[in-house]
Parts: sequence; C-alpha cells; structure tokens
Amino acid sequence: MSSSKTIRRIFSKTFAIAEKNIRIQVRFKYFMFWKWVLPIITLLMPIIILDRFLDYSTNFGPWTKENFMVFILIGYTIMIMQGMIDYIPKSLLREKYWKTLPALMVAPFNRFYLLFGYIISEFIGILLPFTAFFIAILIFFPLSLPTLIIVLLMLLGIGIVFSGLGLFLGVFAISNENFLYVFNLITRFIFWFSCVSYPFQLFPRAVQNIINANPIYYLIDLIRLAWIENNIIFTILSHPIHIFIFAISLVIFPLICVYIFNIIYKKLGIKGY
Amino acid sequence: MNNRIIETFNLSKIYHLKERKTIQALDDVNIQINEGEKFGLLGPNGAGKTTMVSILSTLIQPSSGYAIINGENILKNPNKIKSKIALMLGNDMIYYRISGYANLKFFCKVYDIKDYKKKIEHVTREFGIGKWLNEYVERYSTGMKCKLALCRILLSNPKILFLDEPTMGLDVKTTKFIIDKLKHSNKTIFLTSHNMDIVEKLCTRIAFIKNGKIIKAGSKEELRKLLQKRVRIFIGINENKIKLKQELEQQDYISYISNEETGLKIELLNRNYYNKLFPIFGKYKITKIQEIELSIEDLFLKIVD
Repeated sequence: MSSSKTIRRIFSKTFAIAEKNIRIQVRFKYFMFWKWVLPIITLLMPIIILDRFLDYSTNFGPWTKENFMVFILIGYTIMIMQGMIDYIPKSLLREKYWKTLPALMVAPFNRFYLLFGYIISEFIGILLPFTAFFIAILIFFPLSLPTLIIVLLMLLGIGIVFSGLGLFLGVFAISNENFLYVFNLITRFIFWFSCVSYPFQLFPRAVQNIINANPIYYLIDLIRLAWIENNIIFTILSHPIHIFIFAISLVIFPLICVYIFNIIYKKLGIKGY
Repeated sequence: MNNRIIETFNLSKIYHLKERKTIQALDDVNIQINEGEKFGLLGPNGAGKTTMVSILSTLIQPSSGYAIINGENILKNPNKIKSKIALMLGNDMIYYRISGYANLKFFCKVYDIKDYKKKIEHVTREFGIGKWLNEYVERYSTGMKCKLALCRILLSNPKILFLDEPTMGLDVKTTKFIIDKLKHSNKTIFLTSHNMDIVEKLCTRIAFIKNGKIIKAGSKEELRKLLQKRVRIFIGINENKIKLKQELEQQDYISYISNEETGLKIELLNRNYYNKLFPIFGKYKITKIQEIELSIEDLFLKIVD
C-alpha cells in the first residue's frame, strides 16, 4: 500500500475517533459549558487576592499591577489544557465500562490511533475557550509576531506533555484503576506546586524549593516570561534553565509515557469490568 | 475436504486473584472448527466461555497454548486475524450516547469500509432498524440494540463471528429473527451461551465446557445419539403412585425418578431395559406411558451436574 494511502487511512481512523468523542461530549450541552466555566471559577479567587495584594505591595518578581492579568489568563489557558491529562484516562475508563473498548481493541486498529483521536477531540473541545482567552491576553498585552508564534508552539509543546501524562494515567484506567487514583493524586500535587494560580514569589522559601524541582512549573513560567518580555531572543538567553527543562520535558515526557503505556498494556491488558 | 478455520492447541488461561489465589479459566482446551460451521460452546456461568471468546478474538492472551485462526497464530499475528473476525459481547459494544447511524459510521471508518452509506442502509433495512437510525441508541429497546450490534459486526463482512450471549434479554420473536439471520449467513459462527434454545437451533456442532475443560463435544446428531441410549418415560398413574415409585426405585437400571402431578417420570440407563418395565406396570392401573424426547438442555444439565 502506498504511503499516502496509509497516511490517509491513519487520519481517517484517528479523526473517526475524534468525531465520535465530540459527538459523545456534545450529547449533554451543559457539560461543555461546565468544562469551560470551571477554571474561571477557580481563577476568580487568585484574581481577587492578587489584585488586593498588588494594591499594597510593589510587585511579585516580574508581576505587577499592570501585567498580572497576563499571569492569570495564561494560568486559565493552562488550566483548560490541564483537562487533557484527565481526559484520556476518563475516556478510557468510560469505554472500558461501556464495553466499547473491546470493540476497538479487536478491530484492525492501532491503539495509538485511539489515543491520538482522544487528544484531537480534546484539542477541539478546548479550542473555543482557549482561543477566547488567548485573544483576551493579546488585548491586555500585545505580542510581536515572532514571540506570538513561539508562544503558540510552546503551548502546543505543553499540550503534548500533558497528553503524555494523560496517556500515562490512561493505561492505569484500563489495567489497574487503583494506581490511576494514586497517580492522579500525584499529578494534582505537581500542579499545585506549578504556580499556575499564584506567583512563585508569593510562596515561602520551603515551598519555593519544591516548586523549583517541578518541571511543569518551568513550562508554564517560560510561557509567561516570554509573553511579558515580548522578545524571544532575550527570553532564550536570560532563562537557559527554563529552556533546557522545557526541551527535555517535551522529548522525554511523551517518550517515557508511551513506553510505560506499551509495557503495562502488554503485561496487564484490559482489566476490571 | 473441510477447511479448518479455528483450531486451538492446549489453550489454557489462569487468572490471578487476591491473596495469591488463582483460577483456571481454561484448561488445555483443544477444539477444531471448520469454515462456515456454526459452533456452540455451552456451559454454566463461570465455565470459561467468555475467556475462550476473548482469547480467540485476540482481546486477551492465553497463559499457555495457542490457537490458529484463519491460518494465523493468535500470538504471532493478531493484527492479521483482527480484519477477519468480529466480536459481539451481549448487546454491548455500541455507544449509547450517539445515534445508531453515528455508531455504524464510526465502526465503518475504523474498519476502513468503503461506500459505507449504502452498506449501512442495506444492512439496517434488512434488520428493520432503518427508521430508528438517527435516534440516540439509549432510546432503543433491548432488541433494537441487539440488532444494531449485529449490524455493526456484519458491516465489516468478517469471516468469523464470535458471539457471546448475543440474545441475552431478548424476547422470543427477536431471538427467532436473529437466529434466522445468523443461520442463513455463510459466516463461521462461534457462539457461547447458556441459552440452550439458541444453541440447539443455530449450531451444527456443540461443545460443553465446565471449569475450563471441554467435557463433551460433537455434532448435534452425535449428541442426540448419546442421549438416545437413555430413555425418559412419563408414567401416568392415579392410584398406588407411591407404591409404584418404591418398586421402581429398587431397579438398578433406572437412574432417575421424579414425582409429577399425574404420575412419575423415570429415566432408563438403556433402551434395552424397556421390556423389564412391563411386568411391573402390569401390577398397577397405568393410564399413560409416554416417551419424552431428551433435549440438548437435558444433556447439558446432566453433564454440568
């Protein structure tokens, strides 16, 4: 079979999964509404608190009264993307109990089409609030075109890292649910210490040390810094550790997660329904 | 010459449970099924039927042994097997939150089926669910869900259908409809069920499984011959029923006696013992003597007990 036919077939199958998932999601329309509104509710408190703090204090590191909305709105887009981590295990869990997963597993169908299909459907699912908030940040703090392109690529990179984490959790959803909840808790802690809602400088020294050991913090922080510095060359030169960790995470996270997915799936298969 | 399409070689599956306990779901199972054959695997709950179907459909791997399906080893070439088979577990394996059409379209794309619109229209019309296709599946009746699940597996035109309890929860009319459809298809069918009726009506060869072991297998005729050795008789009697029962219980060629409202039901170990009964019957006022035909269900109950 020619390679173009193979690619077309892969796309057709992957998009079939994505289309089906979107159809399932929009079955209950308020679910999408809930999904978009939930992060706003979560972020309202930091907005209120930070605004009050910044009234009295001068600033928190680079974050001032003028630019803290960039901090908050990027936090929101990250929170929307964070849904990708939960989406894959949730979907696999649902398919497992609906007994539709065996139907897919016995089909002439690579399991990675299934996972890419999930990722695409979640990308489409978050596209509207993501775009709205991205435009809102641009209005608050406009960017030069090169920085804009790099920031978008960075967000795509974060999407890949989060999908990798989702994949990692997903394999436990179908093989051993107990571990899913354990690792889910760990990812909550990782995000808790990633400064998604509050600036690094606001935390006590002991917590800052924990945050410094969290790669997710560097991914999120680099996007925020690139945005407010609005000079991508300057950002690359002045934050080498951030760049290094970002690049390493982008390659290593998905690879490790795919590797673990394969090993556990082959060893345990689908269990628990 | 018959073309063998499914063959298992010492297929075993062990499940590991809590506290280091294990359960042998399949124990050295060897079966052979020819192309186009309708094969039924009968067994009580927990006998290993679903495990068998799951292994043969490449869903799970055996602990030991292997199977050859359509000339391919399930352990070495599962992907080549996948395009030739279809699996149906009960009425499940369809998405309830989307429409019937969206379900079928999705599976057509997954199976790379060309010209799927026409094929969907054709198969759903044949199964009589065409006008319901745009409704959400959650609004379908159990029978319609079953028909949709069958449409799904037939669309990919597989050589082998693995059906695990396909008529579970269906009424008599829908069950008959489904049996007829399957009976007249040219597909090889591997059916597991504890519903004797569907197995007896659909399958040409039957195997009984208990505790993971095949304990009896053969064509329906072979099994019937096995049954014919034993004879079950209804004896109508109004007076001295208990006395007759006591006398019959003393005969070693009678394997089973049960009390019925208007008489007794007995089972002879062999047809040859029939004549021995008449001198006994002569002592009583017998109103009726009727031979009862044994069904596959009787054999099943006998074997599993």
